[in-house]
Amino acid sequence: MSGVTAAQRGGDMGETRRFLIGIGRGAAGAMLFGMPMLMTMELWQLGFYIERYRLFLLLVANIPLLVVLADRIGFERTSTWREAFRDAMIAYGLGIVMSAAVLVLLGDIKPDMPLSEMLGKIAIQSVPASIGALLGRSQLGGQAGDDRGGEQEDKGGDGDAVPNEISTSYSRELFLMGVGALFLNLNVAPTEEIILISYKMTPWHAIAAVIVSIAIMHGFVYAVAFKGTHEMPEETPWWHAFFRFTLPGYMVAMLISLYVLWIFGRLDDTAVTQMLMPVIVLSVPGAVGAAAARLIL
Amino acid sequence: MTTTASRRHTETEEPHWVEWATGLISALLVIAMIAWVGWEAVTEENTPPEFSTAVTGRGPVEGGYRVEFEIANKATKTAAAVVVRGEILDGGNAIEDADVTFDYVPAQSKSSGAILFSQDPGSREVRIRAVGYTDP
Repeated sequence: MSGVTAAQRGGDMGETRRFLIGIGRGAAGAMLFGMPMLMTMELWQLGFYIERYRLFLLLVANIPLLVVLADRIGFERTSTWREAFRDAMIAYGLGIVMSAAVLVLLGDIKPDMPLSEMLGKIAIQSVPASIGALLGRSQLGGQAGDDRGGEQEDKGGDGDAVPNEISTSYSRELFLMGVGALFLNLNVAPTEEIILISYKMTPWHAIAAVIVSIAIMHGFVYAVAFKGTHEMPEETPWWHAFFRFTLPGYMVAMLISLYVLWIFGRLDDTAVTQMLMPVIVLSVPGAVGAAAARLIL
Repeated sequence: MTTTASRRHTETEEPHWVEWATGLISALLVIAMIAWVGWEAVTEENTPPEFSTAVTGRGPVEGGYRVEFEIANKATKTAAAVVVRGEILDGGNAIEDADVTFDYVPAQSKSSGAILFSQDPGSREVRIRAVGYTDP
């Protein structure tokens, strides 16, 4: 919090200063959002046994994701793709540094380990940590945090008072749902439990899980009115939003689940029906994450 | 927290046709998925795990001999903690055996692994079979 008060004191604080505070928040975000994964045994193990082409794909796919996300909620209010790219790289870098630091602190990385094991462990953790770094910037920012930038930024994040109307466009909305789903999925997908639950569930449980996930998604965003809740114009029937946002959102959550499970090698040599079950299981937290992302981001 | 009030999103009244198209496709996919799982729920017989094994590769390793194999579960129930025993048979007598445990062999799926013997089986028969499992 000292950073925030310092920021308030320095009325006309320089760009550099503000940027450094942004970095600090990013690092805090990387820790906050990355910690559950940094303390997950399965992810350490994945770090050395994951096939390298899958890890590569995960790391590369993270770049456009961060760039688009940075365009929404960057370290600075970004207006160009170049700035968004810069912010994305800063977040990725912070994710890598924080992951490495925490893994060393936890004694999970030791100097006598082979280099590829160290790199693998850090690389796989850097993905959620980098998303956390970007989210930390936007969510830990707080209302008093940026004196001048704050107001401007909040409006910008919202998209309706600012020229870049595109920011709440349909594809962007689906993208944010994807990020939310991905984030929660990365938390739970590596654990043994997802697979175990899918084996314990009967098809009837699976159907119930699908229906409950969709209901949660819709309820989260439209019914229970959290802050940032989306409103429908009065005369529009409820099922408009259901078809236009909730169902596509659920499909996005399922796709992300499929992607994450494949990355972690959970679907190898598995029959199609058996693949569907863990995807449905993982889509439950995915749906919650997707809905939350629409509210928070 | 005045900003929270201003952070309300209002969906546009006249959505683009793409939104409806995406919604329609998604709805069809969800219905298809539920129908598929539902059909399975109704028709599926709960057959207990049934294993078959096949040797996929063999070769010497340092200090022993490796026999790689695949184990398939044709049934509709998943088996957990599947213990697979490999034996080198010489005239019907096992002269060496080694165990390996699979965390899971999912229903209608395959898992693969290897057994390490201390000696080269040569022309002797190698028998690999599942000897037990637990329900997950």
